[in-house]
Amino acid sequence: MKAVRKKRLVTVLVLLLTSGLGSMLIIKALDSNLDFFFTPSEIFKDELPDNKRIKVGGMVLENSVTRDGTNIIFKITDYKESIQVEFDGIVPDLFKEGSGVVVLGYLDNEILKAEKVLAKHDENYMPPSLDIEK
Amino acid sequence: MIKKFIHQFASPKTYLFQVDRAYPYIFYASLFVYIGSLFWGLFLTSEDFVQGNSYRIIYLHVPASFISQSLYLAMAFASAIFLIWKVKLSAYLVKSIAPIGAVTTFIALVSGSIWGIPTWGTWWAWDARIISTLILFIMYLGLISLHDSFTDYEKADKFLAILVIVGSVNIPIIKMSVEWWSTLHQTASITVTEKPAIDASMLYPLFGSIIGFSGIVFCLVILSSKLQILLREKNKSWVKDYV
Amino acid sequence: MFNFAFDSIGEAFMMQSANGQYHGIYVWSVVFIVLTSLLVTFFIYKRKIRNIGKKIK
Repeated sequence: MKAVRKKRLVTVLVLLLTSGLGSMLIIKALDSNLDFFFTPSEIFKDELPDNKRIKVGGMVLENSVTRDGTNIIFKITDYKESIQVEFDGIVPDLFKEGSGVVVLGYLDNEILKAEKVLAKHDENYMPPSLDIEK
Repeated sequence: MIKKFIHQFASPKTYLFQVDRAYPYIFYASLFVYIGSLFWGLFLTSEDFVQGNSYRIIYLHVPASFISQSLYLAMAFASAIFLIWKVKLSAYLVKSIAPIGAVTTFIALVSGSIWGIPTWGTWWAWDARIISTLILFIMYLGLISLHDSFTDYEKADKFLAILVIVGSVNIPIIKMSVEWWSTLHQTASITVTEKPAIDASMLYPLFGSIIGFSGIVFCLVILSSKLQILLREKNKSWVKDYV
Repeated sequence: MFNFAFDSIGEAFMMQSANGQYHGIYVWSVVFIVLTSLLVTFFIYKRKIRNIGKKIK
């Protein structure tokens, strides 16, 4: 390789390295700000103030869902802590016990008053018949 | 010999004649594979045990997302070659891939949004995966308008190549976003290290649709680069003979 | 592996899932958007190439 090309190669590598480092620092600074939701454990650890809009994500705890008209009460869990959620509205089709959920709302006496409920599904895809066999 | 081969292929003229010859084969083969895989995925596979029939959007969304990131990597690769070896053809390729990348990223964003309505219950969420993909889309648009804003092609090529390389850090961020942060978007179903999380009956048509879509998009890149070569070399005598 | 998931064209259009929801509208609008985007892009490039070819001549 000619000297001039070697020099250009080094320039390209330095370019990659510095932009990589720069973005790493930005990501480090943003840290958990890029998280889409808190887990129930994080809520209790950080003691978030009431009336602040937050998103909490986790699994819908089995046998915790009670419905009364359009009102729905359930618990979100990360299998360490769980938090009570109250919601008045329509939940997505994928909402069910034991599946993922993200709730947008605000805390009121350790109860999450939900404004919106989103369903979070995982990366598994299979036909329903296989699900029954397993 | 390799050097001679590269030099020959790196001439826009040889490139154009070669891709012109290959174009119909690539186009019809990938069209066949794409339509076949879509038919297979949309009609012959079972519905998903959680998402029902809405999961079928995977056969359109995943290929577009995959190719929009791959095109950026190809652009970064071509940029490096241009900066180091000053191969003109690679500068043309960088410029011609950008709009195609913008189209595929647009498809990925829109198909993802529509998929989100029946599954997540929302068409948009500011989670890390979606933000980084939106940044990719804006980057493609920015790169196109940046190159167009120069009057001097030589400066434009160089500037574009540098920015493409700087921006390539976004690709691993898109890839890892679902691991590094909590997101509404699920983690990858197909990884190099683990067994796919998709049942085989759904996986084969997915692979087919990725291959077919990539081939069709490759044809778009060929057309785009052809346009770029004709634009930039319009005063050369071989171009006059060519058209 | 190669069984039809739907019994008729109408069913394939509606795509009713096991939970009773109709997903056809989502799937088919995505199909429409993807195919139109591709077609339009092909058309634009073919036309641009034709135009520049004419100009050079």
